Amino acid sequence: MIQVENLVKHYGSFVALKGISFEVPSGQVLGFLGPNGAGKSTTMKILTGYLYPSSGHVKVDGIDVQEDPLSVRKKVGYLPETNPLYMDMRVDDYLRFVGSIRGLRGKALSQGIQRVVEVCGLARVYRKEIRELSKGYRQRVGLAQAMIHDPEILVLDEPTSGLDPNQIVEIRELIRNLGTDRTVLLSTHYLQEVEATCDRILIIAQGKIVADGTARSLTSTLPPGPLTVEIKGPKDKVETQLKELFPPETGVQVQFLGEDPPGEVCFRVGTSPESDEHVREAIFDLVSRNGWKLLEMHRPPATLEQVFRKLTLDPIEEPLVAKELSMGGSHV
Amino acid sequence: MSKTTVILKREFRSYFLSPIAYVVGGLFLAIGGWFYFSRVFFDFGAGAEARMDGFFNLLPLFFLVLVPALSMRLWAEEKKLGTFELLLTFPVRSRDLILGKFLGGLLFVVVLLAFTLPYPMTLAAYGKLDWGPVIGGYLGGILLAASYLSLGLFISSLTRDQIIALLLSVASLLILVLLPQFGAAMSPSLAEAFKLLSPVEHFRSIARGVLDLRDLIFYFVFCGLFLYLNALVLEFKKRNG
Ligand SMILES: Nc1ncnc2c1ncn2[C@@H]1O[C@H](COP(=O)(O)OP(=O)(O)O)[C@@H](O)[C@H]1O
Ligand SMILES: [Mg+2]
Repeated sequence: MIQVENLVKHYGSFVALKGISFEVPSGQVLGFLGPNGAGKSTTMKILTGYLYPSSGHVKVDGIDVQEDPLSVRKKVGYLPETNPLYMDMRVDDYLRFVGSIRGLRGKALSQGIQRVVEVCGLARVYRKEIRELSKGYRQRVGLAQAMIHDPEILVLDEPTSGLDPNQIVEIRELIRNLGTDRTVLLSTHYLQEVEATCDRILIIAQGKIVADGTARSLTSTLPPGPLTVEIKGPKDKVETQLKELFPPETGVQVQFLGEDPPGEVCFRVGTSPESDEHVREAIFDLVSRNGWKLLEMHRPPATLEQVFRKLTLDPIEEPLVAKELSMGGSHV
Repeated sequence: MSKTTVILKREFRSYFLSPIAYVVGGLFLAIGGWFYFSRVFFDFGAGAEARMDGFFNLLPLFFLVLVPALSMRLWAEEKKLGTFELLLTFPVRSRDLILGKFLGGLLFVVVLLAFTLPYPMTLAAYGKLDWGPVIGGYLGGILLAASYLSLGLFISSLTRDQIIALLLSVASLLILVLLPQFGAAMSPSLAEAFKLLSPVEHFRSIARGVLDLRDLIFYFVFCGLFLYLNALVLEFKKRNG
């Protein structure tokens, strides 16, 4: 279990972390989400004992990182943001070096190497120089390095940054598998990544934690998106009748989206959550009264992206969020 | 195998992966050999006793370039590659990292020096060789290299740019080597004091074939000081990022 208590970190006069506290129970996959410069890497560097905090504590299984860094580092596997590879070494030599310095000897060492080569799919490049490898393979070598001693805790700082979409999917899959039997702390600014891989999300902005919860609990804090309605019927008639049904003073916005194929018209209807039930029923009645066909009525929940933008944009830029949402139609 | 040994082995082996070590080592052996053999023929021509002074006298100068060329990468390259963060998050004490790097570099110098052993052996085969100064020269050479290396390693920890590490190391060593001359230009007592601080003077004393405990202590303290300063740099980085 990881306990982070009130971490503060100054870089000179700049305050990168302004009091961060959280706990990670064993076995959890925790996603650290935040814009660039939020303080994700700084937190991880303190957790792995690479940096000292200006104040506050990190404890792993009750051991303070600053008091006994070596014991904590034994439990932790770490992939820093810059993949730490010796370019002129071969993959096997590199893994042997990391394994040996992590205290593996003889049979334990060769088994450790064999295990990570298998898990990370490195058999094909095992005897190659690291400099010859593609970015995806390099990232796998970095991951292999982090888990060669089968650590209880994996700290991965942006493990998929700079990879192509296929490589990203592969690495995410790998991380998901790794997370089944250990604690993983993962930082990213890809939102799909945390949704795809993490049990829990911490959103961090400007050195502070601004949200903490599951993807579901975070998105449910925002109102859902606009209602999209697809109706099969004559375009002009549908449009005028809808506008008649919801004149501007009701506060419901009707926006024509398109007609494709001919005869199927699509509308976006902006509502407030309270009036929602009534609006849906009214639309249904209108359609059935006219003998049109209701093909689709759909309302997406708020996305993590909206939560992220809302929480991490500067206050100065906050109006931009409102504008953006109203373009999406949910703002009435 | 201790953690220090693991680092030592990696550092030593990595010299064979980079062209710099081959170029520098090759130049050292070539130039050293040329100087040495020209002296041999000269001395033989004059019918003098076989000596290796020519070679050992030049060693402080050779090492002035050779050792910084070997030490420049020791920390700077790690920073450039990002492996610095890896090393410092391994379950290894900073002093073991520093010591491993120091000894790995030193081992490479020792191997280079070992390649010159055929010189005195051929001398001994062809003429009368006084082994005292030769053994003193090699021992002093290793200690001299160790002192240069500890300084170069410290300077390498200050930057992520190998070229800057090289230039700064050569410049600092040059000042250190010329210290007695600076002192002499100012006052005789200062000259004596500066001689005590100069690794080259202690090398000359050992290379005469006389082993003085004070010379050994000098190198021990000198290396210890710079390795300690190196540890302070690492500690400073942890504190300040
Ligand atoms: N070594 C450093 N010296 C000075 N400022 C730093 C240093 N490292 C990070 N910072 C600053 O601290 C802030 C947080 O950085 P970081 O933890 O790397 O953010 P993230 O990983 O979330 O992008 C950034 O504004 C960054 O510029
Ligand atoms: Mg970062």
